[in-house]
Amino acid sequence: MPPGLDSLKHIVVLMMENRSFDHMLGALKAKDPRIDGLTGNESNLDITGAGVKVQPQAEFQSQLDPDPDHHFPAVDIQIFNGDNSANRVANMQGFVKSYFQQQHDVNHSRKIMYYFTPDKLPVLTTLATEFAVFNGWFGSIPGPTICNRAFAHYGTSFGQVSMDVFYVKEPYKSIYERMINANPAHTAKIYYFDQASSTMEIVNLLQHQPNLFGTYDQFLADCQSGTLPDYSFVEPNYNDHDGDSGAILASDQHPDHHVQAGELFIASVYNAIKQNSTLWRSTALLVVYDEHGGIYDHVPPPACTKDGFIAQPNDTGTGRAFEFDRLGVRVPAILVSPWIPKGTVVSGRTFEHASIPATVTKFFLGDYDQRSPREKSAETFLDLLSLPVMRTDGPEFQ
Amino acid sequence: MAVIKVPKPPRSAFNKNRPVSALLKNQVLHLQQAEFRLPVRQQTNIYINKIRTEGEAAEYIERVTRELHPEGARRFDIAAMSERKSGGGTKAKTKPKRKSDANPNRKKS
Repeated sequence: MPPGLDSLKHIVVLMMENRSFDHMLGALKAKDPRIDGLTGNESNLDITGAGVKVQPQAEFQSQLDPDPDHHFPAVDIQIFNGDNSANRVANMQGFVKSYFQQQHDVNHSRKIMYYFTPDKLPVLTTLATEFAVFNGWFGSIPGPTICNRAFAHYGTSFGQVSMDVFYVKEPYKSIYERMINANPAHTAKIYYFDQASSTMEIVNLLQHQPNLFGTYDQFLADCQSGTLPDYSFVEPNYNDHDGDSGAILASDQHPDHHVQAGELFIASVYNAIKQNSTLWRSTALLVVYDEHGGIYDHVPPPACTKDGFIAQPNDTGTGRAFEFDRLGVRVPAILVSPWIPKGTVVSGRTFEHASIPATVTKFFLGDYDQRSPREKSAETFLDLLSLPVMRTDGPEFQ
Repeated sequence: MAVIKVPKPPRSAFNKNRPVSALLKNQVLHLQQAEFRLPVRQQTNIYINKIRTEGEAAEYIERVTRELHPEGARRFDIAAMSERKSGGGTKAKTKPKRKSDANPNRKKS
């Protein structure tokens, strides 16, 4: 076993909200052509037929308001440009058209093509260039948050493509239940930010297995004291609210929340791990976004293994059934560990959120049959911890 | 080792009166489903269709989460832990009154 895997004791996943790969990391192509980002020539047509090129004009807040539609029918338009024919091809030409439908404002609809320059996102872009950035990490479903997050927890959404209340069906267990019920038992925890933010998608687990949960303050304490579980899932703050010591900003980066608050949060998670040297050498941190939030990306989502469920036309809202045979739009994903070669760009491989429980299961539990077809076929990512000697040059964020 | 300064968002970024998003509406709905399974005296009796802002959603979310996961109210004094650790090592200890300043998204208002 490579020394990085031999040292590995903890996997931490931080899942942010609603930003596409090109929007956050696309500009890195200019710095490293191996990164499948933007050339500057990518475009959509607006509703007048005029070409709208990508522009490095993304702002931290107040630009993508209203929140771009990313429910299943809207994402279908974004990917297929409204083509509903049998032989349609994913061409990523419907983003401006889709955003126009929300305000009927041509100028405003063009903002869906805006992207950040690296200097505006020092945390995310530094981690991407210092460790491993995935060229091909996609949402699990071309749809919204809840069903996509379900794939990270269960390896399936049990046939859901929407935000509806989520019903778990046997035999698939959450990755947390698999871990704590294993023999020998492993440890796993979901750290939500605080009680006013709570957890997203897995309220059923919060109700029936509250012992699986902690808060972000507990995550920080567990990092300091070296008591982090084998597997941790960290949730950002999903809303602006008052706290004991003042205003608490949402840190999930969901439009229209301030992107810099999310940068601070990502840095905080990274720092908490890195500042405990024992934890740093024994932890892999994955920073990933749940879905693209309706924002432009140039890579068509590929076909994938069917999940064994079918969403009916009434559920998809497109007039077509969906067999869970195509992934969602590409999202930023970065794997951080001192055992990863600096500047790793993961190309030619396809990952999705089912890769998370697939990786955790493979590493901690080994063979585990009761998993969805999608999870069983999902790529895992710990092979990226390939260095023979641990790096000592990781960045520090202040 | 590179030290990178991370800019902080302006105070004006905070807006608890921002209209509640579809995501938060659904989170509230999910929590309501869980709330309805609680004993009656633990239910909030909040009419969720009246929730219009993020701040109002947060209040509801907090009240239900408090019932579902009372352990989430526990406070961890990260700064004090850090001092103890540098003085010879220690393990996590709770402190009931004050939330930690180590958490980056808390802003003094």
